[in-house]
Amino acid sequence: MKNKIGVYICHCGGNISDYVDVEKVRDAVKDIEGVEISVDTMFACADSSQKQIFNDIKEKQLDGLVVASCSPKLHYPTFSAVAERAGLNKYNYVHANIREQVSWAHSDNKLGATEKAIQAVKAAIAGVKESISLEPIKIKSQKIVAVIGAGVAGMRAAKELADLGVKVYLIEREYFVGGRVAQLDYLCRVQETGKELVTRMYEAIHKHENITLFTGAEIIEKGGSIGNFKIKLKITPRYIKKDCNEDELKKAIEVCPVEVDDDFNFNITKRKAIYKNYPSEYPQKPAIDIKNCTRCGECEKVCSSIDFNQKEEILDLTVGSILTATGFDPYRPKENEFGWGLDNVVTLPQFRRIINMCDDKLIYNGKEIKEIAYIYCVGSRQVDGENKYCSRYCCTATLYTSILTHKKYKNIHAYHFNRGIRTYGKQEVIYDEVSQLGDIFLQSYEYDPATVEKQGDKTIVKVKDILTNNTEIEVEADLVVLVTGMEPRKDNSIGDVLKIPKGRDRFYNEIHMKLRPVETVIDGITIAGACQGPKNILESVNSALSAATKSYSIVNTGELALEPIIASVNEDTCTWCGLCADACPYDAIELINKNGKDIAEINKSVCKGCGMCLPVCESDSIEMSGFTNNIIENMISAYADI
Amino acid sequence: MAKINPDFKDELKKYGAFDFNACYNCGHCTAVCSLSTPEDSFPREMVRLSVLGLDENIQTSLKPWLCYYCGECSETCPRQAFPGELMMTLRRWLTAKYDWTGLSGLLYKSLSLSILFFVLLIAGVYYFAVSEQFNVEKIMHIGHYFEMFAIIGVFSIIILPNIIRMWYFTIVKSGYKIKFNTYIKKFGELIVHMFTQKRALGCDDNQIRWFEHLILVIGYLALLFTTVVLDWFGTDNDFIIVLGYVESALIFIVTFIFIFERSKKTTELSSHSHPSDWFFVIWLFLMGLSAFFVRIFIDTGLIHQNLWMYLFHLTVLVQWALIIVPFGKWTHFLYRSFAMYFDALKKTK
Repeated sequence: MKNKIGVYICHCGGNISDYVDVEKVRDAVKDIEGVEISVDTMFACADSSQKQIFNDIKEKQLDGLVVASCSPKLHYPTFSAVAERAGLNKYNYVHANIREQVSWAHSDNKLGATEKAIQAVKAAIAGVKESISLEPIKIKSQKIVAVIGAGVAGMRAAKELADLGVKVYLIEREYFVGGRVAQLDYLCRVQETGKELVTRMYEAIHKHENITLFTGAEIIEKGGSIGNFKIKLKITPRYIKKDCNEDELKKAIEVCPVEVDDDFNFNITKRKAIYKNYPSEYPQKPAIDIKNCTRCGECEKVCSSIDFNQKEEILDLTVGSILTATGFDPYRPKENEFGWGLDNVVTLPQFRRIINMCDDKLIYNGKEIKEIAYIYCVGSRQVDGENKYCSRYCCTATLYTSILTHKKYKNIHAYHFNRGIRTYGKQEVIYDEVSQLGDIFLQSYEYDPATVEKQGDKTIVKVKDILTNNTEIEVEADLVVLVTGMEPRKDNSIGDVLKIPKGRDRFYNEIHMKLRPVETVIDGITIAGACQGPKNILESVNSALSAATKSYSIVNTGELALEPIIASVNEDTCTWCGLCADACPYDAIELINKNGKDIAEINKSVCKGCGMCLPVCESDSIEMSGFTNNIIENMISAYADI
Repeated sequence: MAKINPDFKDELKKYGAFDFNACYNCGHCTAVCSLSTPEDSFPREMVRLSVLGLDENIQTSLKPWLCYYCGECSETCPRQAFPGELMMTLRRWLTAKYDWTGLSGLLYKSLSLSILFFVLLIAGVYYFAVSEQFNVEKIMHIGHYFEMFAIIGVFSIIILPNIIRMWYFTIVKSGYKIKFNTYIKKFGELIVHMFTQKRALGCDDNQIRWFEHLILVIGYLALLFTTVVLDWFGTDNDFIIVLGYVESALIFIVTFIFIFERSKKTTELSSHSHPSDWFFVIWLFLMGLSAFFVRIFIDTGLIHQNLWMYLFHLTVLVQWALIIVPFGKWTHFLYRSFAMYFDALKKTK
């Protein structure tokens, strides 16, 4: 019970005192038991007033503080900081809102407003009397971060964390690192290829003593919480011995009789069951795709490095934070969508691979390509489909691809069937460059998009061009390139394991679009790169660095201070009905058996103190620290003058 | 249904256009153009048609002639696509399209061919002078007849058929059926625009340009009349002699200003000069100047000892009449006024 309470009533210039008789409020509460001083002030938030409160707390040894002023949204943090600075626990401060809830709301009734203000301050005093000092909950945190996905975002984040002295487990589901960037050749606005970028990143992480790279690895279970996540890692072997003979492995790839669609080239070519996506790929050992391998044994005959005895491994790891950078999948057009299924209709990612494979002549399906029709916004900004978003990267990527084709091959004509070119920011110069190169842009509305059809052996692309007075314009194309957008990974099981919420667009969701863009509602799990939404490389790396910093801030001191306002269970009265666990949006409540009795237990590091569990508890066994039943009931009584 | 022709822009570039492909269809050019109207909206539309290579649509359009090139569109263009210069190029291209001989196009596209023609005509005049043994009277007499026959010949063989072709492309082919009466009723438009170029007054830039141009047109037509019909070089009538002096002086003074502006690139419209533009202003200048001096030589009795002066004038005249008038920039004088006439016919619908 606090008995040296300081009460400060603010005039707010006149915002309050024009309607509320502040002096009367001051006098009405000054004799309440436990109130040490009751003061009115012109502006409680002014520096001088803050100083006065500070001095009063110090000199008069106040043990509770009430400020009656504006909305707590505005100045709760101000006055709780004053309390803290003066050595008063900030949970012994209660804020009364007598501006938004009193003076402004009752400007027509000054007497009534004053009366209500008095009650509001009385309630605050009643609350502060019962308040308890609280200290932040301290938990130990592992100085380890698991980074999921060794694409450009994951590798960059891993490098950053490792440089800051944090141990990193870099977990990649594929056998090779680099993700989508490895599939790109020249990158726009840098004189480097995707492979070079990946190689550079790989060398940096490979040498780094703080980074452990797992390939062929997947998280299959997650437990624990921020600071101490327990993850189960399943590692599929490569079936290649550690010290391998490279020449023999080359032969092994040659003799392998199994041919499957090559994912890396978006299925336009085939690869063997023992494979590497490209010669200099990292890690440099090939891997055996065991799902497609027939175990014919041909490779073992020519190569001593093959080892089919390698077994799947399960590792248990504990990490302080998880940084998720699992990337995206390119949109796969539906059958007949813009001619998808015809022999000369490909997607932009496929086209990039074709360019990569054709040296001086652009040839696809045995035919030389001269006339290229690009159809934009395939799988993005859909009218009927569910992908309502813009994939951001594609306009720039397509225009840059067109520049590449003009540089690499002669006499290329390119037609861009778009719905408005969005080469935002610095990328606009690429649009400019392409226009100068003579490419033709045709624009249509979303409800009247381009059509692709075969007329004999000709492929005709037609559009009602809004830039030419809606004239129907047609182009005979050798190749139609569908500019496909980004989609969340088809296999997004990791999201379910980690319980990361998804947005309406099915990408992982951040807490706040603008202010907390890399954190998720699961404390300790951050998101980076295109798993959160369409991003180009620059934006992915930006978010990766930001997520790395956020994850670092969780693990760096080895200790976490969490907000102490959380729920707690009265073990004597709880009989476990499960309603609280159902109501909890953070999965913070679990069933435990204590002394032979089923009760609910609150995970302190997961609970956010939202209070959703309180009203559903039939036995009233849950209390919220800082807002205990006792405090709330006292405040209500004081308000109602009971 | 229209089919894109990506090679068309390369063709247009030979006629002097450049960078118009940079256009991203913002429409600034059309918005700032003081002559563009909702019914006759340009230049963006023409830039668009040029980019797509829809040459049929351009060939049947009168819009290139409705632009009087103040250059404001090019100055405003955020992509430096020079729409004004493209409109100028389209006028050259249309001139070549209207010309049934095809020579116009060849000369526009090839500077060396143009120079070859000019040189051949110099040789022709010299050969003629030699074959007439440099007889001053005879040469000047035949020169006078040449003017008359050249006018009649060039007009009936080249210009008239070309105007009929222009009519065919822009009226018949673009689907207009116009009553004979209407042709008569609107005939005044042709005359007014031919002699006043009053539409150019609608350009924002300045009225001085219009006035200079008007003086040049009137001076040129008057000098033509004075030399051909009134036989300036042969007359003794003082009034006609003075009249000729004034007219030829006006021509070389105004063209001198034009040449000066083009070489100094003082304005947007004078900063891009195609060879055909240079030929046009320089030859007009030389014609005015040489005619002026020929008459001075006649008046001072110097002409018999200085036949070269007349031969120089005759050479310039022959080149003018046989190259620049039928196949060069001169025709814009007629096409522009006919375009206004045809446009008025179309608007009656």
